[in-house]
Amino acid sequence: MMPDIDREERRKKRAPVISSIICGALTVTVLIQLLSPGWQWLPLAVGIAAATAVGVSIDPPGRPGTGHPRAGRRSGSGFSGRDRDDDDGPGGPTAHRWRMLVMASLLMPRSAGHRWLAEAESLLSEITAARRGAAIRSYMLSAPRLAAVTWARTVLRQARPGRQRPG
Amino acid sequence: MALRLTVQVQLVLQALLRDPATEMYGLELSEETGLQPGTAYPILLRLEHEGWVASRWEDIDPRAEKRPARRYYRLTAGGAAAASAALAAARRPTGTALRRLAEGGGAA
Repeated sequence: MMPDIDREERRKKRAPVISSIICGALTVTVLIQLLSPGWQWLPLAVGIAAATAVGVSIDPPGRPGTGHPRAGRRSGSGFSGRDRDDDDGPGGPTAHRWRMLVMASLLMPRSAGHRWLAEAESLLSEITAARRGAAIRSYMLSAPRLAAVTWARTVLRQARPGRQRPG
Repeated sequence: MALRLTVQVQLVLQALLRDPATEMYGLELSEETGLQPGTAYPILLRLEHEGWVASRWEDIDPRAEKRPARRYYRLTAGGAAAASAALAAARRPTGTALRRLAEGGGAA
């Protein structure tokens, strides 16, 4: 993984957006100055443009192990294949898919979600790259139903001890 | 709730019954049955809930093995008997037809 290169890429992609914002703001400022002369518009417009540009250009550093409160032990893009040849960095498709799985696991009760995610990670780290996409899709497709089933089981389990016995 | 013996469930049970004493992990089962892992997992969970299947995490050091621990599944004694009876009772198409059906219906 090469997070510095990835951040540099993102910065390069943002550069034209920032330039457009600044150019647009300056054009609007000049037009306003021409149509309605008054010095009070200028610092305001420049201030807004500068604040927008700074806001867009700020690139928060990557935080390892984010996303899933239960996945604290993990870092990077998940799937734990430490020698995987297709590790594509924190912004790559693998990381995106991993985040999707993490989000789906949050639909389930804590223990069920943890187990599902751990098992998916285990399996996906061993499966061939060609089959990984289909496997992830199948996990994602089955997640909502699995979440419903596991929640129903959890609720039933919790309701059972409190049930009043007749007599 | 009674276990519904769908084609996919039958495939999983058949794979586990091939050698009931041997444990199988998710990927192995997926390859054996032709089912996608996301399809096989809820079935295994349901079978476990019914007491037909028992599972455990592999006891390894993931750093040494350079892979996460696998979850192993095997039929319980009662589960093996129940699965054999259920499969015998169910109408049994050929293995190839089962696989085709599973690929069409469960691998989406």
